Amino acid sequence: MNKEEIFKMIVQHTCEVIPELEDHTFKSGDQLKELGANSVDRAEIISLAMESLSLQIPMVEVFGAKNLDELATLLYENQ
Amino acid sequence: MTNVGIEAMNVFGGSAYLDVMQLAKHRKLDTARFENLLMKEKAVALPHEDPVTFAVNAAKPLLDRLSQAEKDRIELLITCTESGIDFGKSISTYVHHYLGLNRNCRLFEIKQACYSGTAGFQMAINFILAQASPGAKALVVATDISRFMVVEGGEAMTEDWSFAEPSGGAGAVAILISNQPHVFRVDVGANGYYGFEVMDTCRPVPDSEAGDADLSLMSYLDCCEQAYSEYSKRVTGVDYQQTFQYLSFHTPFGGMVKGAHRTMMRKVAKVVAPAQIEVDFRQRVVPGLTYCQRVGNIMGGTVFMSLASTIDHGDFEEPKRIGCFSYGSGCCSEFYSGVVSKDSQVRQHQLGLQKNLDERYHLSMNEYETLLAGSGTIRFGTRNVKLDTQLIPGAWVASAGKQQLYLKEIREFHRKYEWIA
Repeated sequence: MNKEEIFKMIVQHTCEVIPELEDHTFKSGDQLKELGANSVDRAEIISLAMESLSLQIPMVEVFGAKNLDELATLLYENQ
Repeated sequence: MTNVGIEAMNVFGGSAYLDVMQLAKHRKLDTARFENLLMKEKAVALPHEDPVTFAVNAAKPLLDRLSQAEKDRIELLITCTESGIDFGKSISTYVHHYLGLNRNCRLFEIKQACYSGTAGFQMAINFILAQASPGAKALVVATDISRFMVVEGGEAMTEDWSFAEPSGGAGAVAILISNQPHVFRVDVGANGYYGFEVMDTCRPVPDSEAGDADLSLMSYLDCCEQAYSEYSKRVTGVDYQQTFQYLSFHTPFGGMVKGAHRTMMRKVAKVVAPAQIEVDFRQRVVPGLTYCQRVGNIMGGTVFMSLASTIDHGDFEEPKRIGCFSYGSGCCSEFYSGVVSKDSQVRQHQLGLQKNLDERYHLSMNEYETLLAGSGTIRFGTRNVKLDTQLIPGAWVASAGKQQLYLKEIREFHRKYEWIA
């Protein structure tokens, strides 16, 4: 997947975990925490995203993203 | 093969507790998604309670059921904690004294965050298996109290640490280990361990904690998968869904365990349908959450509190295998298993864990704030103090008549305890 596709995929998983965000217009600088995702939600979203990419690396390797764009970049670089 | 495992196990979930939803509202946490975290109550340590009183109060009912001859065969006492009260002298020395154990006994303490209980447990199992002293017993006590006052300042380590307060409990689990595993017969050699260096949560200064909730969750999930993967390499034909009729997880809070179970079901058991995962969660995991939801995270002992909860709430008409996952920040983890029978459950019910939790004193927010204000908190390194047992008078009254130990005073660093009844 390219970065834009990964971003869209993260958005899709975010909406699966927090259905209330269906109508939200996601921006690259959005932070999961600010969108109402608690730590369990955040781990679930990242876990689902990694599974979608079939990433076989430890989750702690993709720790540290401050917003959705950074998360997409991190996942893209670890593909 | 030698029989080895848990002969008896008791949980002490404190003498006072707080309603966690009340706390979340009081702290103005986002309660919209708070219910997903599956927290209900948490035990709060009173000024006259410390890791020693918790440990002794967990172990005493087990010792009272032994004959003098049996008690004298306890030759190993390990305390497991991240709430140490001295850098050199271990809590086990006090526990040994107040339980009146045989002096021909090894006394020491183990630290590895919430993995400490499992570390102590596995050492004790190996002591019995080694047969160096045939017929000997070991007593392992995991005891911890929360120090949730966040380390101030800094960048990464203080962010979103708000769940630490509602989830952090206080409690101890005492486990008697021998070649008579009435309560939990260990599957010998069926162990998958996994650890690596990570700075997720820690206690870098006295009386305080620091951590990163996201990193800790990620590390927990990594370990859950990797420890099980190692277990499955060592146990032929193991199946995550079929081999274990119940699963007991280290439970910082229920929502975290639900997330870990969901991930394991998807990645390991290859079950993707959410409804199917939910049914499995209710059937195999929820029995182990009940006590954890009432006491909060008691760190080293949490996985065993979950095991005790599973044994009390599961169906054991036929013997069942329980898979246990232990995780301690920093980090080290392990997946192991054992078998529980109807007799195990009958024995555990006699200890009345549920009743003991029901009898705890319900703290009001004002009383909780009084405790937090620090007037009753003993700082690490306190040299002299006489404890105020009347800071929360209702809690003291609720403990009246119970065979429980309390901290009376510290004199020249030496802690002096007395029995309430």
